[in-house]
Amino acid sequence: MVKNGAVRVFVGTRKGGYVVEGDRRRTKWSVKGPFQPGRDVFHIAADPRQEGAVYAAVNSGFFGPMLLRSTDWGSKWSEIPPPMMTVMAKRPKPNPDGTPPSHPIVNLWHLEPGPANEPKSLYLGVDPASLYRSDDRGNSWESVTGLNEHETRPKWNPGAGGLCLHTVLIDPSKPSRRYVGISAAGTFKSDDGGEHWRPANRGVKVSFLPDPDPPFGQCVHKVALDPLRPETVYRQDHDGIYISRDAMESWTRIGKPLDTDFGFVVATAPALPGTAFFVPLQGESRTMKGGVQVYRWTEKDRKWTPMVKGQPWRGDIGTHREGLAADALDPAGLYLGTTTGELFFSNDAAKSWGQVPYHFPGIHSVSVASPAA
Amino acid sequence: MLKEFAPKLKLSTEAATVEGLLDDLESRYPRLRFRLRDETGRVRPFVRVFVNGEEIGDLAGLATPLGASDSIDILHSIQGG
Repeated sequence: MVKNGAVRVFVGTRKGGYVVEGDRRRTKWSVKGPFQPGRDVFHIAADPRQEGAVYAAVNSGFFGPMLLRSTDWGSKWSEIPPPMMTVMAKRPKPNPDGTPPSHPIVNLWHLEPGPANEPKSLYLGVDPASLYRSDDRGNSWESVTGLNEHETRPKWNPGAGGLCLHTVLIDPSKPSRRYVGISAAGTFKSDDGGEHWRPANRGVKVSFLPDPDPPFGQCVHKVALDPLRPETVYRQDHDGIYISRDAMESWTRIGKPLDTDFGFVVATAPALPGTAFFVPLQGESRTMKGGVQVYRWTEKDRKWTPMVKGQPWRGDIGTHREGLAADALDPAGLYLGTTTGELFFSNDAAKSWGQVPYHFPGIHSVSVASPAA
Repeated sequence: MLKEFAPKLKLSTEAATVEGLLDDLESRYPRLRFRLRDETGRVRPFVRVFVNGEEIGDLAGLATPLGASDSIDILHSIQGG
């Protein structure tokens, strides 16, 4: 929750992180940064339960994974230990018996604040596909073993970006219900606060395995809940765009009417129940010949609508999986960061678009902290 | 580049091996821990350790013995793009 009315867009790029600030009208923006210049900032997440708290997942080619925390909206950052990297007087033994960790971390991917009734909880998804939980705002971490040692894990395979756990979702109407997305293991669901997990991919087909309808192994790219109707879930997979209307118990492909339904991003907004936004791309190039278009899906009429009026944005533009985000205002704001460093925004539910006048490095992720509507 | 984590760039050690040297460095500069080696103890991919000009990969790795007059360099290989 933001009390002073500012809208802050957190932009993680190939060469550092940025904070882009505007007011409720969302017409003018100021860009602060970069912090951690030169380092890959995969994701930045503000904590809606603590005013000013922001976390950043940084991956340095030289120094490895780094976690940062800010308590002043990203003006100042301090390091906190990633899982298994607690700074003690002596190098800690990875496991009590001295054996190496089962899944040493390659990259930090996604930070997700826990539910409101667990005010200090924080989730972290990493490559190789593992979920960690903190109950002290990131000072220490515990492996979510029900997922990380899942019986299906030996058969999980990486996608092109690695074996990454990139999505963590908490059902706001039923906080014990949680979901994760793993490329390329698919989506998993827990109904007991993260103790036990099961694959939740029924109906999602794959084109790259002998069995086209496996229970897990889907290359899911991003998943989003409808904030007001959280039993409705949208997913962008390598193999298409799907919807679940029963809390991931089954999935239906809705992307077929589009020229292509490959892509990476999906976003939903509290002011737009029954609506989701996607940016389809061509699978081989991961760009779009003729220009990039934002498509809106509306459940009421089950229709697709292109939202960039006139010509799509021209150029060889791509997006990474965290590249699209929505704010909590009404009308909803949409923010699209591209692999070529453009940050497009809409302050009217995607009916019109502008561009933040700044050339960013290639954008990995966009997230927003805004006042509620 | 290491100055961010370990301000003193030249120092002496009585460690008997390269692994002991890294333990010593990490003990003096805790922020260096996990920056040169990962959580399994492996040297990170873009870190290069040289003993008298020879890369430890061509010697005995982290078990490479150190003598009183040996000179050790810890460098980052170039990574760009």
